[in-house]
Amino acid sequence: MSEELKSLIQPHIDSFDFFTDHGIDLVLKDSEPLYFEHNSTQYKIRFTDLKLSRPTRNIVEKEIKLYPNESRETGTTYNAPFKGAIGLYEVNEMDEMDDGTEVDYNKQEPTHTFEVDLGRLPIMVKSRYCHLNGMSPEKLIESREEELEQGGYFIVNGNEKVVRMLVMTKANHPVALHRKAWTNRGPGYTKNGITIRCVRPDRSSITNNLHYINDGQTTLRFLYRRQEFFLPATLLLKALKDTTEKEIYENIVQGDNENTFLTDRVELSLREQKINNINTQEEVLDYIGSRFRARTQFPPSFSNIKIGRWFINQFVFVHLPNYNDKYNLLILMIQKLYAMVGGKCGTDNIDSPAFQEVLLAGHIYGMILKEKLTEYLESTKSFVLKSFEDKKKSGDKLPDALKKVLDKNFKIADRFSYFLATGNLRSSSGIDLQQTSGFCVIADKLNFLRFISHFRSIHRGAFFATMKTTAIRKLMPESWGFFCPVHTPDGAPCGLLNHLSSNCLVTVDAAQDPTVQKAQTLLPSFLAAHGMLPIDMVSVYQHQYLTITLDGRVLGKIEPKAGEEMVKMLRYLRSMGNEPSIPKTMEISYAPPTNVENGQYSGISLFTTGARFMRPVVNLTSGQNELIGPQEQLYMEIAVVPHEVIKGVTTHIETSPTAMFSLLANLTPFSDYNQSPRNMYQCQMAKQTMGTPLHSYPFRTDNKLYKVQNVQKPIVHTKNQFKFRCNDYPHGCNAVIAVISNTGYDMEDAMIINKSAYERGFGHGSVYKNEYIDLDQGLSRFEQKKTFFGRPNTVVDELDKFIDTDGLPFVGRLIKPGEPYYTYIRPSDGRQVTKDYKGKEEAYIEDVRIIFGPNGATRDPSKINNICVKLRFNRNPVIGDKFSSRHGQKGVLSQLWPEINMPFTESGMKPDVIINPNAFPSRMTIGMLVEILAGKAGAIHGKFQDATAFQFDENNTAIDFFGEQLAKAGFNRFGNEQMYSGTTGKEFECEIFFGVCYYQRLRHMVKDKYQVRALGKVNALTRQPIKGRKVGGGIRFGEMERDSLLAHGASFCLNDRLMKSSDFAKIKVCKLCGSTLTIYSKKDYSNQTVSECKSCKSSDSIATISIPYVFTYLVAELAAVNITMKLQVS
Amino acid sequence: MPCLYICGECGAEHEIKPKEPVKCKDCTHRIMYKKRTDKMIQFEAR
Repeated sequence: MSEELKSLIQPHIDSFDFFTDHGIDLVLKDSEPLYFEHNSTQYKIRFTDLKLSRPTRNIVEKEIKLYPNESRETGTTYNAPFKGAIGLYEVNEMDEMDDGTEVDYNKQEPTHTFEVDLGRLPIMVKSRYCHLNGMSPEKLIESREEELEQGGYFIVNGNEKVVRMLVMTKANHPVALHRKAWTNRGPGYTKNGITIRCVRPDRSSITNNLHYINDGQTTLRFLYRRQEFFLPATLLLKALKDTTEKEIYENIVQGDNENTFLTDRVELSLREQKINNINTQEEVLDYIGSRFRARTQFPPSFSNIKIGRWFINQFVFVHLPNYNDKYNLLILMIQKLYAMVGGKCGTDNIDSPAFQEVLLAGHIYGMILKEKLTEYLESTKSFVLKSFEDKKKSGDKLPDALKKVLDKNFKIADRFSYFLATGNLRSSSGIDLQQTSGFCVIADKLNFLRFISHFRSIHRGAFFATMKTTAIRKLMPESWGFFCPVHTPDGAPCGLLNHLSSNCLVTVDAAQDPTVQKAQTLLPSFLAAHGMLPIDMVSVYQHQYLTITLDGRVLGKIEPKAGEEMVKMLRYLRSMGNEPSIPKTMEISYAPPTNVENGQYSGISLFTTGARFMRPVVNLTSGQNELIGPQEQLYMEIAVVPHEVIKGVTTHIETSPTAMFSLLANLTPFSDYNQSPRNMYQCQMAKQTMGTPLHSYPFRTDNKLYKVQNVQKPIVHTKNQFKFRCNDYPHGCNAVIAVISNTGYDMEDAMIINKSAYERGFGHGSVYKNEYIDLDQGLSRFEQKKTFFGRPNTVVDELDKFIDTDGLPFVGRLIKPGEPYYTYIRPSDGRQVTKDYKGKEEAYIEDVRIIFGPNGATRDPSKINNICVKLRFNRNPVIGDKFSSRHGQKGVLSQLWPEINMPFTESGMKPDVIINPNAFPSRMTIGMLVEILAGKAGAIHGKFQDATAFQFDENNTAIDFFGEQLAKAGFNRFGNEQMYSGTTGKEFECEIFFGVCYYQRLRHMVKDKYQVRALGKVNALTRQPIKGRKVGGGIRFGEMERDSLLAHGASFCLNDRLMKSSDFAKIKVCKLCGSTLTIYSKKDYSNQTVSECKSCKSSDSIATISIPYVFTYLVAELAAVNITMKLQVS
Repeated sequence: MPCLYICGECGAEHEIKPKEPVKCKDCTHRIMYKKRTDKMIQFEAR
């Protein structure tokens, strides 16, 4: 078991465990009851219980444990029964609460309780609810998993699905922004605003914006049922606290009375936003409640105050249940907004990781669940009320009617399967997310690196992919150590799809970590004991004082000098990890007071919530590893290497200079020697390599799986290769390489492979494809369960060569295109039907498995009607297949060169691979040259070479280090060797660079790509050849190709391409009227076809001309819009 | 010559006659593999 490897996937698992262990309970506790009226009695329904079990089989033996591999092999979903209970309550006056105290619904006894089946919820593999959790490697192998199985994905319809990590705005932190779009929110609205994403303990969120209006007023925006509402900020302040306008003024201004900009605006706000006769908290709440009453569905017995409170609880600063905390936060946001507008601080960059965190699978699960529970109740309510409209049922008792409706209601868990299968989020509220699709991707098992990268990738959001500005894609200095600067695709998703650095971790929620939970309660008093003035003790402060917030809750203020000292102390204690009030995963963000224009709003923000990025660095005072967050990193002095440390300034040092890289970028040997884009290309290509995706081939039914035969550990490796167990899944082979321009077959990134090396197995591999053959597929429910495999006519059908007596293909046989594949018995007449193999490539039948699924429960168990055939395709290298080194140097195989004709060195070595020296000057992949050097030295001395980046420098060069090793073995220090021509035996005039390099075989193969056509299908309308490789189409000879032939004057060739070989046609035209549409043909007495122009009444004027057939289509289209076309034919 | 199937769970070999449920008679596992053919199969070895 590799802890490091586990840590890469941990965020996914942790988030799902949060959902199962805490999320479900939190969502249930927070779920809203639904009120309705029946027979003039008020009722309410709400969920009283939710219960998730562990995965069990869906079919027949329902109590048997379901293991992930069974779901994979049968193409079903790995899920567990999910049950709930709904309580029906009669609402009486007692239920009301005006004093603001929460009525504990859990204590109220429902009049009736109904058990409801919510379906089967997909479970994350290796999460706490998965049966694989805690299994030893041996047990995992016994369960047909990988030894290093890490989980983190779901299995939906046999596919492994990952919920992609998404970038979110940092929770509970006010962010100052300029947004052009905000000017459209109403008259006077400006681009200035403060936005805060408030996250509840169950990880559902509500975003609040504080807007700045021209005249200095501020309003708070929230969304209710996808509609936006604005509350005047001072009105809201009065609703949150029984206070006076004087107090509000003092709280905002904080004694900064010289600042007329601020005082004027606060005064004006208080004046303008005042409503006559509404002064006390109760009056304001009553006022707000009365405005929103019509939009809610509360019973009339509810008071306005209660509705007002409900709105504030549900939509304003939802992360803070306490009204005083809400009040203090709003004050802080108003101060920050005025500071930004007044030029005292700048805007925050929401594209920088400093203001970002991550959305994880378990958190989305919780959000969906919360919404679906509400939808479930709403649909229950509407169906119940509808059922009473039906006269027959109107006499039913309410509990009976409810029971009937609940049995028929939709299954909540099905919505989760849909979400995972498609990645689409169907939501009525939008769940505070900016996109509705693209949440889930299939975790491709092309090779190990690609698979693992899915779990480390983090997307900025689909919305940003459509933006034309490139600012969001920029590599931010703030992302150092959190996002990998190398590992991002080039092209459309560049900079939007990032990967977490291998050291970057994601924090868990407080509910999962008792130390954090404890610290959250201890911290305020700890800070107060160390110089902080608690916010509720004094009301007038010095305005220069720094605000201290914890997870968006204002704790107090501190004198700036003392603040700086306190931050130092907090960080020291955090690194030591033995102070109970300071958890290791707390981010201590400190923006010092500054006179710099556009600086960050000063203050100390502490974060203990989950889903934040953290990474380890070494604290120089304590010498311990300390976790730091992206926001605090901006103001910290962190040295990368020891000699950078400045005494008295530097406080921290990186654990390693390569800590900023992701797993993949860390695998490139000597990547510090390469031109940086080449390292990006290598990250891309590593993910396209035909490598070792897994070791459990016999138990896998993936749609497509690649396998390479002769893989090796690279001689030249990096430290992370061991750390993350990459050598357990090698993806290439050490090849002897000569950099020489020898035959001309190595031009333009082509490479020559030694034919004997090929015959020894270089790059050999195969592709596995799995085909599910379900005889019930596409049939209606009545037709199902009747068709099954079989071959009753064994004696007469002459299929013995192809098909076994059970109607299935022989396991191990080579099947060729068009051969009989399987036979089944048709239910209509009981006859035997033979189906042929449709593939275009010959394949070996690797295995045939008989499956009882995927609709196991509805199936007749006594017939074989669902099978999965695994086919193996031979994919040994052929000319045109793609290979690459680990330095973004890809090339295609151009010739399998016979070994006897290969150039050889003095010692008789012949290269496996020849590449052209022209691949180097412009690409500057010096890392590859060093790798070849190091590989050669390693091969001679029989040792593996460490190629981790940044270990060599100008005074201690890699060339010296490895050259010395080569010299010891009697080789040239620079890797050059005298070589002799393989054909003439003559010595080459120059020395050749010769060594060992790790080569990867890429998955792009000629067999999947070649396209050829002589005759074939044509488009019915135009009679032109169709496009598309799969359907046997041609390659388009387009406009640009036409231009080049025109330029060459090759008109006959042009005529051949565009007409003769395309839609050549002969049509008849009337010479007199020039029309092609008026011709009428008929047979005369001697049965000869005679044509006549109907409008000219002439048959002599008909001529036959050659045209492209689409021309007739054009003529017809023009005729349809009343345009005639006349051809002048002589 | 009856067709044999190998149980995916316990490895037992069973014959599945028509009208018999698709499951292992020993352990009730529901995935069965068809046994590799014992007919002679010759490939082109090049």
